[in-house]
Amino acid sequence: MIGIIKRDILLILSSKQTILLMLFYIPFLMILAESFHPESFYFVIIVLYTFLMSMSSFTYDISGKSKYIMNSLPINRKELVVYKYLSIFVYLGMTIVFAGVYLWIIHILGLANVDYFSLRVIKNTIPIVMMYSAVVFPVYIRFEPRIGQILSLFVFILFFTTIGNLSYTRDKAILKFLSLMKWEYYMAIALLLYLLSLLLSISLYKEKDI
Amino acid sequence: MDYILEVNNLRKEFKNFTLDNISFKLEPGYIMGFIGPNGAGKSTTIKLIMNLLKKDGGEVRIFGKDHEKYEKEVKNRIGFVYDENYYYEDLSIRAMKSIVASFYSDWDDDKFNQYLRDFDLNPKAKIKTLSKGMKMKFSLAVALSHNADLIIMDEPTSGLDPVFRREVLDILYNVIEDERKSIFFSTHITTDLEKIADYITFINKGKIVFSKPKDEVLESYAIVRGGLDILNDSTRKEFIGIRETKVGFEALTDNIEKTRKTFGDKVLIERANLEDIMVYSVRG
Repeated sequence: MIGIIKRDILLILSSKQTILLMLFYIPFLMILAESFHPESFYFVIIVLYTFLMSMSSFTYDISGKSKYIMNSLPINRKELVVYKYLSIFVYLGMTIVFAGVYLWIIHILGLANVDYFSLRVIKNTIPIVMMYSAVVFPVYIRFEPRIGQILSLFVFILFFTTIGNLSYTRDKAILKFLSLMKWEYYMAIALLLYLLSLLLSISLYKEKDI
Repeated sequence: MDYILEVNNLRKEFKNFTLDNISFKLEPGYIMGFIGPNGAGKSTTIKLIMNLLKKDGGEVRIFGKDHEKYEKEVKNRIGFVYDENYYYEDLSIRAMKSIVASFYSDWDDDKFNQYLRDFDLNPKAKIKTLSKGMKMKFSLAVALSHNADLIIMDEPTSGLDPVFRREVLDILYNVIEDERKSIFFSTHITTDLEKIADYITFINKGKIVFSKPKDEVLESYAIVRGGLDILNDSTRKEFIGIRETKVGFEALTDNIEKTRKTFGDKVLIERANLEDIMVYSVRG
């Protein structure tokens, strides 16, 4: 687990492209989502950065020649998949720290009115991140990386537009329904999906030709 | 006998290629050369041994243990070198080492640093800035720094100059001085194997042609040279492969005694090298 996290962090830090993306994505989102409520904006940042980090490392394991190295090291396939699923929580933690510092600087400088820390929002991101991983990871394992990327992008856009639409909605029925759905319900659904997805990914990866 | 690597009836089917019934065994303390033309199934066999590809049938045992059931334990004792650099190009040697080292229970930093000095590798250099030879040296340094008992190499010397190839072979020769260690080494540069291999396994079109001690292989085959006048449909069948020119023929036989009896002093019989054996066997 430590080896995989260490590798992912080193790969993120060594890639200028990823660093630039990490640095400029928040200002880009600020322009794109300027009408968002500060809390919604914080929510979107946390979820998207966690996606970005987990997917960039996941792509290394599934596509590209470096997958041969990872799979030749003393680690079995089941562990590799389990660590991958667990690592999303590490990325979530890293994102909270990174986004917190970044948004705090923006807030202090008075550049925008942004929320830079909200436990309530962080709590709400957990089931979303779990559900997203549960959908995307098995697709990456089963199909060509390109199909995984397309699906990942599709889920990403769906999520983004849903959040955007919810910020505008005046539909009282939807708002009432959402307020009735307790976090625990979301979490229970997310956990079930996450565990089923984990089991599916393990069985798919065990039989996969690398 | 305890074998360090045992492959029994290994099978893998693809759309256009089948690796069929592959079997061979490697004892501790020896180097096995795995030869065959491009596309014969060498890399596929190595990927199956490393469990990168899932086998359709057969068995692979490493250190006496099933390679899937005991994957982690077995891979902890394997050093691998592949034909290309598969390490992360954007990382430095030092960063890549720190990732790889964290997976092995017996990683030896002093040994790795010694190899870096011996190979003149700068730990701060990014992998993408290294030449092919330097990348191969780095792969070798990694493979030899965690006290592996089996070194598996897929075409490690292809594309390298003769000086560096000799250097690699010398390193492997030193590794094998420890009688518990073995090397499984695929290549199509057969001259490398004549210098260091103890056993030769020859694969062609997904099938094993032979897997024998090198000396036995070299003794059982011979190159036959003679005039075209002694060749006819019946005598041609005596040979595994034959090359005819305007002035005569050159052929490979695996029945030296019979060839000698059949042709007497009308032909010249010479020792075959591994390249002759491979070329004539493949070409026919």
